[in-house]
Order: sequence, then C-alpha cells, then structure tokens
Amino acid sequence: MDQRELMTLQQYLQEYGQQAEIFVQQLQLLENGRMEALAAIESLEDMLTAGEGTVLLQIGGGASVRARVEEPEKVLLAIGADVVVERSNKDAVEFLKERVMEMEASAKKVAETIDRLRGQMNEINKRIESGYQQAMASGEMQE
Amino acid sequence: MFGGLREKLQAARSRLGSSIQAVAAPPGAQGPEPSSPQPPLPAESPVTGEPGPDAKKPAGFVDKIKTFIIERELIVSEKDIDGALSDLEITLLECDVALPATDAIIGQVRKGLVGKHRKIGESVDSLVVNSLKTALAEVLGNGFDLTEYIRQHEKPVKILFTGVNGTGKTTTVAKIGYFLKNQGFSVVIGAGDTYRAGAIEQIGVHAERLGIKIIQHQEGADPSAVLFDTVQYASSHKIDVVLADTAGRFHNKANLMNQLEKIKRVMKPDLVVYVDEAVAGNDAVTRAFEFDKTVGADAVVLTKADMDSRGGAAISIAHTIGKPLMFLGVGQAYDDILPFEPAKVIDELLEGGI
Repeated sequence: MDQRELMTLQQYLQEYGQQAEIFVQQLQLLENGRMEALAAIESLEDMLTAGEGTVLLQIGGGASVRARVEEPEKVLLAIGADVVVERSNKDAVEFLKERVMEMEASAKKVAETIDRLRGQMNEINKRIESGYQQAMASGEMQE
Repeated sequence: MFGGLREKLQAARSRLGSSIQAVAAPPGAQGPEPSSPQPPLPAESPVTGEPGPDAKKPAGFVDKIKTFIIERELIVSEKDIDGALSDLEITLLECDVALPATDAIIGQVRKGLVGKHRKIGESVDSLVVNSLKTALAEVLGNGFDLTEYIRQHEKPVKILFTGVNGTGKTTTVAKIGYFLKNQGFSVVIGAGDTYRAGAIEQIGVHAERLGIKIIQHQEGADPSAVLFDTVQYASSHKIDVVLADTAGRFHNKANLMNQLEKIKRVMKPDLVVYVDEAVAGNDAVTRAFEFDKTVGADAVVLTKADMDSRGGAAISIAHTIGKPLMFLGVGQAYDDILPFEPAKVIDELLEGGI
C-alpha cells in the first residue's frame, strides 16, 4: 500500500467520522425530544391528581414560580406544522405517547446507521493499520 | 419512508369511506351494500313508469325505489363528511404538513366529494381514493425532471446548491453527480464550500470515488473564484453540467448571504437548488420559504427522507414555496437518491409501501 492510498483511506475515515457525528447529533435531538415528551406526560397525569394544589412552573434560567392550573383537563398542544390545538388531558397524553413511540422508532433507525458507519470506520482503520505495518516492514528490510 | 403518514392516510381514507357508506345505507334502508351494488331488477325500475306488482304496498315500493336510487347514484353532502374531513385535517397537521398545504388538500377533497354522484359499480373507497389522489397531486405539483431540463438547455448547465449547515448538501452534490453521470452526462464539481474545515477534502473524496472532475482552491479562498473557474473549465472542456457546492448558511446571516449573491453574479447559475433535510419537517418548509425570498430557489432537494416517517416537508414544500421538489435523499449510498415523481409517491402513500 503506497502513501497515496493511505492518505485516501485517512480521508475516507475522516468523512465517515463527520457523517457519524451528524447522526449522533440527530440521535441526541431525538432523545431530548423523547425525554421532554415523557416529562410532559408525567406532568399532565400528575396535574389531574394534584387537585387544587400548586405546581412549580419553570420560567427558564432555573427559576420557577408557584402556579395553580385552572383547567388541568384542557391542554394546548402543538400537534405539528406550528399548529396548536386544545385537547383533553387524556387525548394529549395519548398523542404524546404516540410521539414518543415515533421518536423511538426514528432513534432506532439513526442508531443503526451510526453502527453501520462505525463498522465501516473499523474496516478502514484495520486497512490503515495493516498499511502502516507493511510500510514499516518494508522500511526495515530496506535498512 | 413516510410510513407514519401512509398509515394515518389509510386510516383517514377508511374514515371518509365509512362516513360516505353511512349516507349510502341509512338505517332502515334495505338492500345490498352500496359498495357492491347489483343491477336492480327490471320490475323495480322507475324508468318504465309502470307500477309493478308491489304497487299495492306503497311503503315497500318506496323503500325499493330508495334502495334503487342509493344503488344507482349517491350524492355526498358537506355535512356527511365534515367529521371525517376534520380528522383528515388533524392527521395532516400531525404529520407536519404545513397549514396552507393542509387547507389546500382538505379543500380539494371536499370539492372532489361534495355533490359527487357515485356511478353504478363504483365503490365508495375508489371515490375517496380518487379525490385524495387529486388533492395530493394538486399540492405536490409536477416535480422537476432534471435530466430533461439539462437536455433542453445550453451546456454547461450550471446548478448552484444552497442551504443551511449540516443538512447533507455536499453528499447531495456527490449523489446528483453520480445520478447524472449514470444518465450519460459529463459532470464537473466546483468545491465552493471553502469555509467549513474539511469540506474541500470531503467533496474531493466523493469526486475521486465517482470519477468526476473537481475544481478546488484552498480553504478560505473566495468561493466565487472557485466556481468561476469551474464554469470556465466546463465551457472549455464541453462538460454538460456544473454542480456547485457552497457553504451552509442561514438566511439571516448577512455576510454569508452577500457572498451567495456574489457567487450568483459571478457564475450565473441556471438553477439554484435549495437543500434541506426532510426530518426537519415544518422547519424545513419555513427555511425554504425564507431562502427563496432572500436568494431565490428554482427547486428543492430533501435529504434524509428515509428517516422521516411523517413526510410533512415533502408534501408541503412545493405548495408552500411554489418551487418543485426535485430529489429525495434516501440513504448513505451514492445511488440513494430518488427523482421526486409525485404520481409515484401518491400511489405509494395510498396504496402500498414506499
């Protein structure tokens, strides 16, 4: 294996690495979305049982205020395409559960792609390794 | 691809079907299922104008006439399908189909169904499917046949790719290069993303693997100069197509947008193609709209469509920005790019798996 081939392999490796990085970011986004949806499900379910009690409303920056939910039965929900609709608590929970399932399915696909890319990267790594070894062996022989 | 949308559309289709079915067979009406009408007996035909043997029993006769009319033709009223249409609307919105596109689809389905006379032998399902098909076709537009465009225009045809960061622009340039090469065109790629570290190497690796000539300068060079050189090379070597990669940029970054303006002035592209990812859903539609407003776009490519189960961006982008969808990126390999053919997508959404 000559120097040029080794360099090409290094470039391939770099390119696969960049692709994998993008997919890892995507996986992270999906995971964040899933966690948010799960937190919302928990809050919606708890709100029904909280009755007249107060809840902590996070307003960003780590700050919270005590709040009383006037209508825990009614939820304003972003269903997609930047559209918000009013749903019953139960329907909103159901919708969010479906979304969680969808996100899990997508995350599985992304994870498979990352695995495939890593497999290819391993292969290239092995070839680079053996290329280096060959180069070193031939160098020693020349000496 | 678009599995979620397909599933939900199937459900909406059955709901619409059953709403119409319910009109066709109101409680009390006797006779066979309207979806499988059978030719009425001649004795029951009102055309003859002669009272049949059942004339002595007016109620029975009227019933039979009613059944006959229901069998023969069915007129759908707006009220009958309102519930099902509102379900369809929510379904589309949940799949991230933009509001204007959703409105257009609903309006078209309503237009297609309300007041519709179902012909004898036509099933309710085919009535619903046909109106859904017409509605989707209207929203999806005609697509964009790139090979035909290249054949009909003076060579080299210069295609400039733009879009935001990290959506797969460079890979798309390589895939389209491969596609065009397989179609028999000669291609040269201009490595116009001189901004992102490693971008020149990345497109260089693709070009080498695909056996496509690439014109590149050093990192940080003026992209307009690189792309000008690429066009010059294509003209002097009689190359059919110039594919110009550019750096990812957001429409609200003034300096990068000015740079894009300069690129456009210098290389005078025949086509400006906006690239975004299908998984971004409605965000992709909004961004495409903003990009089109700022720099203009002639066609759109959506990447990562294989990971998008909702299909909202693919359905709404052409209708919302008024520019056709040209290709869908559907995987990692070079041949994982599909020319966007609306009729095929509609058939697969309503009838089978994509």
